[in-house]
Amino acid sequence: MIATDRATGADPRRIETPVGTFDIDPQSVIHFHEGLPGFESTRAFVLLSSPAIAPLHLLHHVSGPPASFLAIDPRLVLPGYRAVLSIGDRRRLGAGDETALVWLALVTIDPDQGPTMNLRAPIVINPERMIGFQTMPHNSLYPLRHPLALR
Amino acid sequence: MLVFTRKRHEAIMIGDGVEVRVLRVGRDGVRLGVTAPPQVAVHRREIYEQIREENRVAAQAVASADAIAAELRGRLGTSASPAPAHDAGDDRH
Repeated sequence: MIATDRATGADPRRIETPVGTFDIDPQSVIHFHEGLPGFESTRAFVLLSSPAIAPLHLLHHVSGPPASFLAIDPRLVLPGYRAVLSIGDRRRLGAGDETALVWLALVTIDPDQGPTMNLRAPIVINPERMIGFQTMPHNSLYPLRHPLALR
Repeated sequence: MLVFTRKRHEAIMIGDGVEVRVLRVGRDGVRLGVTAPPQVAVHRREIYEQIREENRVAAQAVASADAIAAELRGRLGTSASPAPAHDAGDDRH
């Protein structure tokens, strides 16, 4: 990837994460304008993959206070998962009607259930604009902790 | 904290884009209508708090990434890492 001279442009940069070292370029930075609940000041993340953590991904901060999460495509576990996005949410992402969005569920370890994923408040990313946020649909029936029991 | 007395159908404005209106006053609760620009997120506070707490717990899981991933791959029977991108077939409301 060619480095650009845009305001945020920078050479690919090396970051250390709990799951290894990655070279990231500025184009791969995802902007969370409001951060995530509990991590409101962390506004820039990258989504990292590696064979060691597949099929998980790492949503890792690149600026602001440290914040790092394991994330998974919820449909890998629950193929019928149907996310709901309001018109307002879609507008916040800068997404048009046809924009294909990336959906991820954050992973937690529950003392009783083992690994679970948060289907109540999924992460949604518009890859065309590299904007993301954690959506909290008002009437969602999906649980905060859904067991990661893959079939 | 600003404190207002409002009757049914009366409202307050927050900034120039957010309106909070009293729709109904009952014995156990007050029904509010919130009108806000699409970029302003409106949530019940307890839901937001719950998700905030869940995110804090989730941030601890990274330390166990390899173990969780290995377990998942075992159940999947593959080491493939499908790309997360897909069209979610969103509902709109």
